[in-house]
Amino acid sequence: MLTRELNISPVGRVEGDLDVNVYMENGVVTRAHTQASMFRGFEKILQGKDPHSGLLVTPRVCGICGGSHLYCASAALDTIWKSTLPPNALLLRAIGQASESLQSSPRWFYATFATDLSNKKFSNKSLYDEVVRRWSAFVGTSFQRGVEASSKPVEVYAIFGGQWPHSSYMVPGGVMCAPTLKDITRAHAILSRFKNEWLEPLWLGCSIERYMQIQSWDELMVWLNENESHYNSDLGLFLRVSKEFGLDKFGQGIGKYISFGTFMHKDKYNHPTIEGRNEAVISPGGFYDGKNYESFDHLKIKEHVIHSWYEDHPAMHPWDEPLPEPLPSQHLNGTDFNSKYTWSKAPRYVDHNAEAGPLARAMMNANPANLPHQFHDPLFADIMQKMGPSVFVRCLARMHEATRLYTLLNQWLSEINLNDEFYIKPEERDGKGFGATEAVRGALAHWVEIENGLIKNYQIVAPTTWNIGPQDDKGNPGAVESALTGLEIEDVNDPVEVGMVARSFDSCLVCTVHAHDGKSGKELVKFKL
Amino acid sequence: MANVLWLQGGACSGNTISFLSAEEPTVVELVTDFGINIIWHPSMGLEIGQQVTEILNDCISGKIPIDIFVFEGTVIQGPKGRGTMNYFCERPMQEWVREFSMVANYVVAIGDCAAWGGIPAVPPNPTDSTGLQFHKKQKGGFLGEGFVTRSGMPVINIPGCPAHPDWVTQILVAISTGRIKDVMIDSFHRPTTFFSDFVQTGCTNTRAFNEKISGGFGKRGGCLFYEVGCRGSITHASCNRILWNRQSSKTRSNHPCLGCTEPGFPHNDLMRGSIFKSMKYLGYLPKESATGESKLKQYFKAEVKVENA
Repeated sequence: MLTRELNISPVGRVEGDLDVNVYMENGVVTRAHTQASMFRGFEKILQGKDPHSGLLVTPRVCGICGGSHLYCASAALDTIWKSTLPPNALLLRAIGQASESLQSSPRWFYATFATDLSNKKFSNKSLYDEVVRRWSAFVGTSFQRGVEASSKPVEVYAIFGGQWPHSSYMVPGGVMCAPTLKDITRAHAILSRFKNEWLEPLWLGCSIERYMQIQSWDELMVWLNENESHYNSDLGLFLRVSKEFGLDKFGQGIGKYISFGTFMHKDKYNHPTIEGRNEAVISPGGFYDGKNYESFDHLKIKEHVIHSWYEDHPAMHPWDEPLPEPLPSQHLNGTDFNSKYTWSKAPRYVDHNAEAGPLARAMMNANPANLPHQFHDPLFADIMQKMGPSVFVRCLARMHEATRLYTLLNQWLSEINLNDEFYIKPEERDGKGFGATEAVRGALAHWVEIENGLIKNYQIVAPTTWNIGPQDDKGNPGAVESALTGLEIEDVNDPVEVGMVARSFDSCLVCTVHAHDGKSGKELVKFKL
Repeated sequence: MANVLWLQGGACSGNTISFLSAEEPTVVELVTDFGINIIWHPSMGLEIGQQVTEILNDCISGKIPIDIFVFEGTVIQGPKGRGTMNYFCERPMQEWVREFSMVANYVVAIGDCAAWGGIPAVPPNPTDSTGLQFHKKQKGGFLGEGFVTRSGMPVINIPGCPAHPDWVTQILVAISTGRIKDVMIDSFHRPTTFFSDFVQTGCTNTRAFNEKISGGFGKRGGCLFYEVGCRGSITHASCNRILWNRQSSKTRSNHPCLGCTEPGFPHNDLMRGSIFKSMKYLGYLPKESATGESKLKQYFKAEVKVENA
């Protein structure tokens, strides 16, 4: 039997810095390693600096999730400085987070994911010509409209934050802005434009209300075949293409999911504490092992560095963790995967590896124990029970969020009280804090310690760290590594399947300020593609 | 028609993400109507793995001519000048950058990181990051003070954290439509068409600035210069003339300007008391004065009692 090693550097469209090493037997991946190939050291830059530095610096960790980092950075300081947050501030922070996430729906689908479906690998499929016509990069009919529509939700962000990306408008004690009526009405109008240009006519082919009635896979199939408008919408085409192209057959992953939850309720987090966070989130967090739900406890998180290019230390909670000391790194072909092999660390929940992202959130939303003010949406519990995870299910979960985010944004805008406060200045003090959210890519958190009025320790665990991180101390793989294992690659000269699995996680490699090791026994026949 | 190769070094991708929000022209229109041919881009390129390396090698050999080499992010030189903290296609990114800079007709640094090092270059600069032709305010950077491209132009800097999408698209259109000779650059290599005025030009709070009415977070009206460290009066950029996301700007949404189009951002290297606070001598006199005003004149202004400090 011939074992082949295939090195893919870069994987592309994941912001450039993901490299993948897979071992194949007879065209099936038997082992995979993911390598983050860049180190930036943001946490080291933050040490010893002004405590507000996280508000300015961390949005710039990631150009696509900057609002999410800001949400965490401001919340972490709130827990240390014991801020009082007026309802308006909680609403405007949630609006920032939600508009950034809504931006990602069309942008990710058209610019990052769907262009792969126009790969010649699929040219023998009956739907291929339609896919090429709509979703080809730049020239596809939906590509243009989708990418243009994606810039609308962040116009709402800019009204309250001044610009997107990279605003720092969320500050401990509230928000910088104090909007007036015209800002609120304009934001509603921009959202309507987004709905009328893309969400309803192009993506759904129906009203938001009709789509949101869907509670199960069978109901989704009824919706699909209900009329031509549904059937021929981009969502309709995606459902049909996924079936014909077999996207529901690969990229399963670990089957364990983590979410930190987000969107603090306007009346339930006015005195922010770490302990009070789980009850205050509207989008519920938790850990799901494939059978049972567990409520989220940040103290159960540890980062492993045995396979990361940092000086070794035992797996530790971020508050206790030393700042990363970089060690010599290698390029992909020169890497020993039995040793250290990536700049990403390996976060674990207790000892579990887990997948972060929209599918994790969709599973939390199906938790029967969710509180009355939290999401209740059984759809993905049903889909997962019927077919299990795959590239298809992960992508569907990502796109399923758009209608909910749209609805919430309008609701929250309508709840802003223009005569109430937006900011209450807190008193700066020392201590340890924790702030978290759900970036569109998944669970994101900041752990901060302030001592003598300066940052002593700043630790960031990004969703991409969960997803493209390496093996842990026990040799358990990260989420993408796990999802690649068992993958069938049709053409080693154009391994489009590897890219599709990676892109189904929407990994944003630039988030991975941390960085991986593998075990191999076999003598490999290596060849360069 | 212009071939554009766009790569990212020590980057957050923020400039790419900003660029994708462009309108008039949109990114799609740049490709379909303005003859911009994107040879490869990390977020938009269709090729992966070895296919990318082949394209890059063809660019260096001249088989694919590069009209514009766009670089986003810092040049990572660490550790110890080896650049191995940022591998790309099996080589340290810094090696690719040097080779593309030699063969491209124009080299454009997008964002503060590529222009002069940005946040990654803040001490202790863990990755030994620098900009293409500047390191903070100092000319030189990775390519050196005397560097010029094949066309005779030095690196064109389009700073900002991130750069405004229009600043990027307009320069790309200028090059592809043959108007590069009209692109004048200042001493920091910024196109003067965008960076000769101040952020304050067009700010809706200039009246409050002149009347020394101090604003603050969560308040309507008032100027952010006096207490929360707004740098709009000393920062060259067109943020209040060419609005962000077609809607607003930092200062219009009551967010102090951070001065992100000037070399040295983040200013004062994030030292204690430098963020969202106006730094003062004796707790009273502003340390920085509006460009074009003397410190003395500024101090006279400061003696006016600031409301609700």
